[in-house]
Amino acid sequence: MTVLFKLSNITKSYGERQVLNAKALEIRAGNIHCLLGPNGSGKTTLLRIMSLLTPNDGGHLEVLGEAVNWQPSQLLRLRRQMAMVTQSSFMFEGSVYYNVAYGLRARKTPKKEIQQRVQESLELLGMSDFIDAPARYLSGGETQKVAIARALAVRPRVLFLDEPTSNIDPSSSLEIEQYIKHINQEYTTTIVLITHNFFQARRLAQHTSLLWEGHIIEEGPTRDMFHNPQDPRTRRFLKGEY
Amino acid sequence: MDVIGQGVKEGILLILSLDPELIQVTLLSLQVSLSALLVSGLLGIPAGTFLALKDFAGRKLILNIIYTLMGLPPVLAGLIVFLVLSNRGPLGEWQLLFTPSAMVIAQVLLGFPLVAGLSARAVMSQRQEAYDTAVMLGATRTIAILSIIREARMGIIAALTTALGRLIAEVGAVMMVGGNIQGKTRVLTTSIVLETRMGHDSRALGIGIILLILAFIIMLLILKLEKRSFKDDSTIQII
Repeated sequence: MTVLFKLSNITKSYGERQVLNAKALEIRAGNIHCLLGPNGSGKTTLLRIMSLLTPNDGGHLEVLGEAVNWQPSQLLRLRRQMAMVTQSSFMFEGSVYYNVAYGLRARKTPKKEIQQRVQESLELLGMSDFIDAPARYLSGGETQKVAIARALAVRPRVLFLDEPTSNIDPSSSLEIEQYIKHINQEYTTTIVLITHNFFQARRLAQHTSLLWEGHIIEEGPTRDMFHNPQDPRTRRFLKGEY
Repeated sequence: MDVIGQGVKEGILLILSLDPELIQVTLLSLQVSLSALLVSGLLGIPAGTFLALKDFAGRKLILNIIYTLMGLPPVLAGLIVFLVLSNRGPLGEWQLLFTPSAMVIAQVLLGFPLVAGLSARAVMSQRQEAYDTAVMLGATRTIAILSIIREARMGIIAALTTALGRLIAEVGAVMMVGGNIQGKTRVLTTSIVLETRMGHDSRALGIGIILLILAFIIMLLILKLEKRSFKDDSTIQII
């Protein structure tokens, strides 16, 4: 399987405090790869580096087969193969249609195709009836579904999900998990999922990396990590002690 | 009270009389203030956005200077432009003093800091998520910045209305660099001053009412524009 992300010795500090020191990480195409860990373990920093939103201080970063040089043209080209959904997704002022069409307009997609893709994406997430609704008046669960539809509309190779269900109720959360699985299977989109919920990691991810105080302390197939954790800190985390 | 009642009556009569001189003065007021607003907007919105988004040495100092200039006394602005455009000044050879152009320049000096400062605040109030969302959806940096400006447009429109309010009501600067010359640089505000000095209080008040009506109509048009771009914005429900 193609390696989409290859990280070695990636570091990031804010002032004196080092928040990330990831020795090695590879993310393969087609997987749902979970970055699991307690709050403050460096998951979001790692995701922001991988999605090219935050430059790393040190180490080597390869994204979609290219060594990252942080040049605007490269960032644009690589980002156009990715999409992201965060825990409280930002919605632009305007309708659901305006938001879902945003990425397609940025790519200068013909209007007819935009209409078709927006419709398809919203249908997949069961949000077609909301197409003309003001995006900022949706509930938390609806906002997240629109954010996923918006990400999906640009047909990304990689979808980053940063705690996509942490602000919504359990039933909407399970519904969104179904969509995540569906997107991964039907569109063969690689998904990088951040969560501190190990049940969610177990339900969704084929592969999991456990982060601890900025370090990746354990990594492997999700099933193995849950059945036979190697690091004592992983065992404690899985017991819910953190 | 009599003066006020008389003033209102005079104002209505003035409007109904369609006095050619008054029409000319009103049109010049509009021309000067709207031109100054246009220039202030064209310079101030990009400058404010740049100051809000770009971190560089001296940025805070420049912002502080702009915030200070938001309270620039019109007479002082007028004096500066007067000195620059007078025969002894560096731009004296342009022969702009006592022309509508000089009045526009003086008003830009008053309008630019307001538009730039308030636009900067409006853009700064936008969250990082707006930019991140735009670029992660494939927007170029320029499109992402334009999206942030779009998100901040309510504050930017407020900046423009505030500036227009200041410019259309301003008298010190236009008096100093325009000279209140009949048929050439006389505007509504300088007419009010003149009529008051001549003891025509009711007429002065009448012109004041015309000025207020004018400002009301322009603000109404701007608010209509604002509403059109904020279909999904309602007021805060206070129960």
